[in-house]
Amino acid sequence: MAANIGIDLGTTHSLVAVVIGGKARCLLDETGDPLVPSAVRYAPDGVVVGRDARDRASEFTGSTFTSVKRFMGRAPQDCSSDAALFRYEMDPDDERVVRLIARQGELVRTVTPVEVSSEILKVLRARAVEVLFGEPGGAVITVPAYFDDAQRQATRDAARLAGLEVLRLLNEPTAAAIAYGLDTRGSGRFVVYDLGGGTFDVSILELDGDVFQVLATAGDTHLGGDDFDQALAEFVRTQLGLSELDDATHRGLLLAAEAAKRRLSELDVTEIRLGDAVVSVTRSQFEALIMPVLQRTSAACRQALADAKLGRDGIDAVVLVGGSTRTPLVRRHVEELFGRAPYCDLNPDEVVALGAAMQADILTGNSSLADDLLLLDVIPLSLGLEVMGGVVERFIPRCSTIPVSASQTFTTHVDGQTAVDLHVLQGDRELAKDNRSLGRFVLRGLPPLPAGVPRVKVSFLVDADGILQVSAREEHTGIEARIDVKPSYGLTEEEIEQMLEDAIEHAETDVDDRMLIEARVEAEGILAAVQKATSVDSGLLQGDEASQIRAVIADLQAAMDEGNRRKIQDLSHALDAVTAPFAQRRIERDLSLALTGRDANTVAIELGIPGAARV
Amino acid sequence: MPEAENLACWKCHERAGVAVCVSCGAPQPPPPSPDPFAVLGLTPRFFLDPTLVDEAYKRLTRKLHPDRFSGKAAVERRMSLQWTAILNDARRVLRDPDRRARWLATGSAEVRERGGPRLDTPFLQQMFTWREEEEEDPGVIAPRAQALAASIRAELDALFRAWEAGQGELSLVEDRLARLKYLDGFAVVPPQKE
Repeated sequence: MAANIGIDLGTTHSLVAVVIGGKARCLLDETGDPLVPSAVRYAPDGVVVGRDARDRASEFTGSTFTSVKRFMGRAPQDCSSDAALFRYEMDPDDERVVRLIARQGELVRTVTPVEVSSEILKVLRARAVEVLFGEPGGAVITVPAYFDDAQRQATRDAARLAGLEVLRLLNEPTAAAIAYGLDTRGSGRFVVYDLGGGTFDVSILELDGDVFQVLATAGDTHLGGDDFDQALAEFVRTQLGLSELDDATHRGLLLAAEAAKRRLSELDVTEIRLGDAVVSVTRSQFEALIMPVLQRTSAACRQALADAKLGRDGIDAVVLVGGSTRTPLVRRHVEELFGRAPYCDLNPDEVVALGAAMQADILTGNSSLADDLLLLDVIPLSLGLEVMGGVVERFIPRCSTIPVSASQTFTTHVDGQTAVDLHVLQGDRELAKDNRSLGRFVLRGLPPLPAGVPRVKVSFLVDADGILQVSAREEHTGIEARIDVKPSYGLTEEEIEQMLEDAIEHAETDVDDRMLIEARVEAEGILAAVQKATSVDSGLLQGDEASQIRAVIADLQAAMDEGNRRKIQDLSHALDAVTAPFAQRRIERDLSLALTGRDANTVAIELGIPGAARV
Repeated sequence: MPEAENLACWKCHERAGVAVCVSCGAPQPPPPSPDPFAVLGLTPRFFLDPTLVDEAYKRLTRKLHPDRFSGKAAVERRMSLQWTAILNDARRVLRDPDRRARWLATGSAEVRERGGPRLDTPFLQQMFTWREEEEEDPGVIAPRAQALAASIRAELDALFRAWEAGQGELSLVEDRLARLKYLDGFAVVPPQKE
């Protein structure tokens, strides 16, 4: 059975992890790095994702997108300040969907944040394919706990575009909690303080045996390490007395600020270069710059404690997650907030992906990790309907354990009325206009009756991913009213379908070359893994397997020389098929070795399991 | 959980339990209007041990949570989702004394009328007087509201004690809960801890 994977789709970087031999591990690239920078460049000859795209962002300002997670599922009018900050060109005519414009030379391409994210997911998927010898089963993808419905939908859509089957959207702090909980086997109440590149979450969880219950969550989907970089860049700009920076200089300065921020975690003073100019920054100057950002996290922490009906004395441990928690001031701030030193034994960059992989493994139903683990998460923001006077009537309060359902009964105001308009909102502000508009629902097909007679029961159900489903029924007639869902912001189902079709067409016409390269890379990965495995474990080969495998390898190498994509793909699959029984034997042996109590990692290295061997 | 009724599982056709099939583990069709006590297999009463609620909730959620049905047929996933929502709601009602009281008295955990049931004139007149006195002497209302809320809670306790002993009825409950909700507006009623 294909293994399930866990993905941390982050603002600054993304990771993919999988449970191998009873242990979660992040999959590495050829240099041994688990992090894929969440940067995407649209070049005339294809899409570039990762380190190259990030490092050359100032060279290709008009066509490179970073921190695109900040734009996921948001309204264009809410994004304009972020777009200005990152110097992105946005289609000004679309009021519903954010469309970013990539320009490089002749190339002009309009892409949505969902599409940009799907490019990152494709790279993570390819990394998994290489390690797993084939397609992953399904994926658990993490999202900030504070993501609203539209942001979650957008993440799901991106995964679909990348050809991934989403088993579950998992809240990032909850994922970290799984990794932490399974690591320490502790119990009690603890706080996960997750400060990433662009998002901040705080969750309070109760761990009781094998039940993980989220008690409360709060946060800000626009707060993170990016803000540290921006503050530092702004400081350098003023120090140099510069007024306006061109896009390339701005991007370059941000990169330099980001690097300086990292250095200041170790050093007391560092320098930032901008062209010929040099500005020196001390750690205390930097700390003064980021203090306002940290103070914004305190309010969310206090709210989470209040929602969990706990004082800080009720907390047994504090766990730090997210690369931004490496900054010493962040650690001191958290220590002050909760009155105890945070736990930071787990790698803050990897812990979310590892937790996602563990949850993905648990969802297979025959997990070796924790078969009985039960995860009870909450909805971060209340759901409500707009009622007369623009006021919100809440039907699901924030921090309710999900899945959760609620129903409301509506009637008509006019004789013979056959439709009712409903406006669904998410948020905790009193007035409708201050909350996030999720969508307008039109109930149609009501029987034409006198005003006030129809009784339409509208049922709302928030699933385990935190995504809302709506259904309606007229109680006298039993008619299921049809609901037209018009998402206020974000892509409609039709648009997603169209993108999927376009992606396929695109693949069959212009991008043959790229497909060939990808097929080659994939085949090379499989070849290398098979050759290594068959030489290490030749003893496990049975009958004429060795000669069969050799024959397919020879054909595959010929096809690669010839440059025939179809043949390469077919033979890659054939190689997969012919080695399957052998691979199965190795896994069984791996398991029995692991059971004898040896470290799974050592076993994996001995077995030459790719990915694992590089850990 | 109430004992298995003589119902056949829609999936394996063996005799099923109410929520989950004892034979094949498939979730069974959820009831249209679930009774939170019945759902968790508890006797309807006001004086309820919260650990019993949590134990029953966890035992059933463990079997029915959507995470247990990942990769199963859509119909099973759907039922597991509905059941888990029902279990979450049942726990919320039973763990909150006001919701529990309202459910026992009215058969609904939510306030039935928009804006709540009408408060009687003497109570509202008293509140009006209090507010006037608060304007002259700020701070006077908080301790009064607190004392009144405590006496209403004691009255509710007495009502339910009698009812559970087989005497009296619960028709006053809804009004008393509405009064408590009104007093909540002064934000002085200490949160009920269990």
